[in-house]
Amino acid sequence: MNREGAETFLRLLAETKLRDQLAPDPPPWAGGPGAGRVKVHVVGQALTAVGALDHETVEDVLADFDLAVSLRRLHGPGSSGSAGFMRAAVAARLSAQLQPGRPGPPASTGPPGPAAPPPPDHDPDQGPADRFVPIGLAVPFHQGGLSGELYLMSFAHTGLGARLIVLWGKPTLSREHELGLQQAELLPVGLFTVTDDRGSAYELDFTHADGSDWISQINLRPAPPDGIRWLEVAAPPGPAVRVNLNPASGPPGSELPGDEPGVSAANLSAGEQLLIMLAEELLMAAAQSSPAMRPELPALSPSVMQAMGTGLGDIIAGLEAAGLLPPLSPVPAQLAALCASLRIDGHEIAAAPADGLPEPWLSLLTYYQRRKPDTAQVRDGFAALTAALPELDGIGLALVGLHNTQGTTVLHVLARGLRREERLGPHGVDLDFPLSFWLRDNGGRWHAARPIGWQPADPEHSIGLMLVPPLPRATAWVEVLAGGRSGEVRARLPLRWGSPP
Amino acid sequence: MTDRPNGAWFDCLPACETSLPCGTGRHIVRWEAGELRLLSHPDPEAELVLAALGGEKARCVEVAQAWRRHTEDLSVLTIGPRGPADEIAVSWSDVDAAERAAQRGPRPVPHPTSGRVPRRLMYGTPPPTVAPGQPWAQAQPRAQAQPGNPEATEDRERAARRRNDMLSLLALGYGFQVRLIGQVAEAHADLPEEAMEKIRPSLVAAITARLAPVAEEWLGIDPGQVVLTLHRGPGWGSAELTGRGEQRRLRVSLPASWLARVWAAGLTLTGRHLVVAVARPGWPDARVLALRAPGTEPVPLDVHATDPDPASGGLDVRPDAADAPHWDI
Repeated sequence: MNREGAETFLRLLAETKLRDQLAPDPPPWAGGPGAGRVKVHVVGQALTAVGALDHETVEDVLADFDLAVSLRRLHGPGSSGSAGFMRAAVAARLSAQLQPGRPGPPASTGPPGPAAPPPPDHDPDQGPADRFVPIGLAVPFHQGGLSGELYLMSFAHTGLGARLIVLWGKPTLSREHELGLQQAELLPVGLFTVTDDRGSAYELDFTHADGSDWISQINLRPAPPDGIRWLEVAAPPGPAVRVNLNPASGPPGSELPGDEPGVSAANLSAGEQLLIMLAEELLMAAAQSSPAMRPELPALSPSVMQAMGTGLGDIIAGLEAAGLLPPLSPVPAQLAALCASLRIDGHEIAAAPADGLPEPWLSLLTYYQRRKPDTAQVRDGFAALTAALPELDGIGLALVGLHNTQGTTVLHVLARGLRREERLGPHGVDLDFPLSFWLRDNGGRWHAARPIGWQPADPEHSIGLMLVPPLPRATAWVEVLAGGRSGEVRARLPLRWGSPP
Repeated sequence: MTDRPNGAWFDCLPACETSLPCGTGRHIVRWEAGELRLLSHPDPEAELVLAALGGEKARCVEVAQAWRRHTEDLSVLTIGPRGPADEIAVSWSDVDAAERAAQRGPRPVPHPTSGRVPRRLMYGTPPPTVAPGQPWAQAQPRAQAQPGNPEATEDRERAARRRNDMLSLLALGYGFQVRLIGQVAEAHADLPEEAMEKIRPSLVAAITARLAPVAEEWLGIDPGQVVLTLHRGPGWGSAELTGRGEQRRLRVSLPASWLARVWAAGLTLTGRHLVVAVARPGWPDARVLALRAPGTEPVPLDVHATDPDPASGGLDVRPDAADAPHWDI
């Protein structure tokens, strides 16, 4: 890695943008006031993301850039002094972009919940192999005027302990509760009991699984011993629901066996990985603002997409200067082709657009380019699925269920080897989740996945990955494709959809 | 020529004066032979002691302190002027306004992620606007200022002092600005290689920033086509023109001392030659090494300076870019 080259590039870029923006007749590529600053900022973020620069250096460059620009615009048009190439004829608006501080945390997608405390009698690095069992059952409950169902998606037993991954169904309220005449506890966690085939009862500890009230983990204390065949979950006086812990049986109703995950090696540079994450961010943004998914927001797409193209060429040049992007890498050309497909101008990528694109990208592009809204809106529901994927770049993921709510599909995973630092890369890339993650449904359509909710816990995080586009309930199986710098994992998993929440 | 330039870096620079409001009057500050002198304050150290005991610190003394704080500050190279056409006009009333703004404290700025802003729209969302022409309202500390956040308070105070220092130093006028840049550049010119690794990016950007407009005037080349590397070792460096059209590049290798000894002295382009080194420094007569064209060997030129507005002009002096010395063969 060439850290000196990276810093030199960023400082020269800042100088170029200063010169462009303060010229009496700024060149067309200079963009409006602030455009140059945005480019310096996103390139700084990119070089920080790949470890070529530290935050402090980038902040220093930006702080100097800001002061240099604002001082030259101090007196605006007609100010004293010679009218030279640096004299800007506009008021100081660039300063409004001054936020040289560290990137802020991404918007929370739900109320923060307490981290799941690890049971003290477990060493995460020791003990038996992790165990994940798909369930796909509903436990009814009634309390006062409140009725509903708790959906059991999966059972997970890892070094952090044993837990059920559950989803709360939307409860129904009696007329008195609806009118507010009586208070109701919408998530009556105290109602539930869990016992095993040996008659042992477990202490239950509910935590929100990934930042959403409606997704919970029920931690079982103590963890069930080896050899337990089933658990019964009940909300007395309602009936108990038996959960078979024999993974060979699969989720009830499932007819398609899953495959063992297949692993293939890769050797991506840090720069290529970042560019792929940027491309996927672009694709997700495009798909989310497409007429197919958001027919009510047709005007949102162009401006958001154009903004996300800002500085891509400079990012690529910066990564090359840092020695983190091979000169013959195909990724810049693919990114250029993607921008062309999305009609993003001004990205300034020097590479000619590639002739072909990766299949998942093409699939999502096709979805984006649909002019008609989805007629078959996804119905609410949840699906039992579990899989522990082989480690990629030191990151271990276990899939523990998915659900559809209000047109959004969220895949729940348990993740090890990640650190939750709320680091944002250029254009909102989530640097805390440095993997490419896709699902292909049995109809052949690819769905991109990015985190929307985290419940950090050391060393195992519970993460909600939003799928774009959402997964129809008719999907019988999915193929998971997870990609890192060192390799790629594919696994085919059967789905069994449960009751609508 | 020798590997190390003869004489001090400032030998081609004449003395320079300005006046500034200090106390109830205006006082003269003078730069001469690499030193800042306070003509109205014969014993600034004693004044500092009095100020520490609760007395008011004279502005002249504050400016001298700021100068000392920044004589090795590479940010001076980034913020300061690129040449006479890039004059940064800061007045003492601007400085006063900045100090008042710093005393009032910053306006609370909403956190960019507060509110119900969709994550994907956060990027590119216009931040809070500030009134034009108020750089002092803009310098943000690294940590968001929040009550009870000592790190943020410390950052804010540090940022405010740095900003006010810069404003005061720039308010001295163009003549002082280029001399400070020269002093900073010279302070970093002959450091050991391990130290250069850390500062080379700043020096490359600083020299490129000042060489590029000169190259544009010299050859008509686009400033973006100037590629600079830092020269170390014997000789003055190199300069060659490569490529055509958009691939055209002026590739120049110069030592960091070029900024102090050539650029700060206003010697960059003399008689349509690019000055690359000073062989025999002096004021108003010097001998320089200069290139007639890229790819040629430098030739020695005897040059003579004319100072359009000599120092010692009294209390109304403020050296702006028009007062910069002009060198002729």
